[in-house]
Amino acid sequence: MALAAIGLPLVVTNAFALDICIRVFQFAFIGVAWNLLGGYAQQLSLGHAAYFGLGAYTSTLLLIRAGVSPWIGMIAGGIVAALASLPIGALCFRLSGPYFAIATIGTAQTLMLLFLKFRDFAWGAVGTTIPNLGNSPLMMQFASKATYYYLALGLLAVGLAITYWVGRSWLGYYLVAVGEDQRAAEAVGVNVPRIKRDIYLVSAFLTGLAGTFYVQYIYFIDPNTAFSFNVSVEAALVSIVGGIGTLWGPVLGSALLEPASALLQSWLGGGAHAGVQLALYSVTLIVVILWRPTGLLGAVTEAYVWIVRSTRPPASGAGRAIRKGAPLDG
Amino acid sequence: MTTVVAQAVVNGLLIGGIYALVSVGVTLIFGVVKIVNFAQGEFVMIGMYISYWLATLIRLDPVVSLVVSMPALFVAGLLLQKFLLRRVLGLGDMPQIFLTFALSLLLMNAALLLFTANYRTIQTAYTFSALRLGPLYLSVPRVIAFALAMLLGAALEVFLRATDLGKAMRAAAQNREVAMLMGVNPDRVFGVAVGLALALAGAAGSLLMPFYPAYPTVGQQFVLFAFVAVVLGTLGNVRGALIAGLMMGLAESLGVQFVGADSGLIVVFALLLVTLAVRPGGLYGGETR
Repeated sequence: MALAAIGLPLVVTNAFALDICIRVFQFAFIGVAWNLLGGYAQQLSLGHAAYFGLGAYTSTLLLIRAGVSPWIGMIAGGIVAALASLPIGALCFRLSGPYFAIATIGTAQTLMLLFLKFRDFAWGAVGTTIPNLGNSPLMMQFASKATYYYLALGLLAVGLAITYWVGRSWLGYYLVAVGEDQRAAEAVGVNVPRIKRDIYLVSAFLTGLAGTFYVQYIYFIDPNTAFSFNVSVEAALVSIVGGIGTLWGPVLGSALLEPASALLQSWLGGGAHAGVQLALYSVTLIVVILWRPTGLLGAVTEAYVWIVRSTRPPASGAGRAIRKGAPLDG
Repeated sequence: MTTVVAQAVVNGLLIGGIYALVSVGVTLIFGVVKIVNFAQGEFVMIGMYISYWLATLIRLDPVVSLVVSMPALFVAGLLLQKFLLRRVLGLGDMPQIFLTFALSLLLMNAALLLFTANYRTIQTAYTFSALRLGPLYLSVPRVIAFALAMLLGAALEVFLRATDLGKAMRAAAQNREVAMLMGVNPDRVFGVAVGLALALAGAAGSLLMPFYPAYPTVGQQFVLFAFVAVVLGTLGNVRGALIAGLMMGLAESLGVQFVGADSGLIVVFALLLVTLAVRPGGLYGGETR
């Protein structure tokens, strides 16, 4: 599958198709970042757009005001986002569950309002475009879409690698402990506030990187898109639909939702049907929550196993008995 | 100067009545069913649209249309509990949050598709009238809204204290397992709780129509104030939500007067922070009532 992903742009050159793939990777990446906090540690944030926007604005400000390359700006954006997660976390982690979610919504909204209001600092509601420098790899602008594709894929790979590594490290165990039962974890001696803070740093940092990529890809930024509630929702959505707290969950969720939404947008135009996309997202979310709250990854894995089992030639008597539901005879 | 402050106080309290209604709904559901209803604002919106269409089509006064919106939303609450909420009761935070959250998105966008984003207003005979109390002006529709909101709040309090079903609800809110041991049917109690909460939301919507426009996302700001009020008034405490709702209205009005026109969110956030820092248990310090 990884080879297919790497080889894809060599075969597919349709710009629209590549764009969809880039979107899939983008939101899978943001979902992976969200999942570290929301899936493993079960701190459900609906305000990740705050970090997305901070990352995007940091690199843009550095680029336009100081001519700094967005490669550096991306890291700087991630750091700014991570630093922002410290005070935000300090405040929001005092609340639990739904109230934490509400507080995170508030932080993203507040940042949006701040960026809208203070025009001198960051262009306000009008937003800004980044200068089109043609093909300048050092300034993270490329002539060919395929390069953006690889960049997005690379970011996703980084996110997945971090998730994999965290999942198998002691941090991962502590995260799951905090996520499953915070009080029990505290009782056992886990430093819950520190764990939450640490994973929030990572999650925010990665989301900030995604923000920079977005600006470099779209060439435009404004507070309404950068801190958009839609971004926060999609970050959570792809993880929940795909498989919360799993490595590949966000990738699956993104692979399902993003192409659907892109196709929907192109069919419906978007003008008279402004709400269809979100309406469909919400219906999907409701269906998934009622049917498979842990996400579709489990269902997909089960389906895969079922398919593999049913295509395998029948085994010996004992093997047949071990399969689902078969009575043990003899 | 005192007149300005007094007027701001009056205005704040009047709209606070509506905030209180919405907050009580949220806290009722949270207290009894232990689920935060992200979609509460959308049910206010639905109440508004019900009243709007009744007023537009058959010239029914929005305040009178309470008798339509409240029962309709009560039934909606029963259905909501039966078909959606009940399925996620034991599952933990994540499914519960995202279920009501998704419902909120769905209702908002369905309204957007059905009714478009246009602001809908209605004008009654009294939309622009005001009472004079000394140097102060009290807008008549707001006074009516406030009075009825307080009446409904009081009626709810009486219901919770004096009737068996109300007591059962309070029992379920305090300790679900023991309540069940005592013979309380959780399904029925939850259904009624959600039904009442949504009915109150619908009432808020109808009461708002004479002086507030209806549009698909109108519920969002009310629900934000309601959430902070619920935290401030102690989660699950109906009286606290009532009082805190009034306080939110007051804070917003004074904020608009002295800080700036779009200071609503800042006020909300500031109040939330202060509450968390100073008294995280809320006004009633953790008593669910």
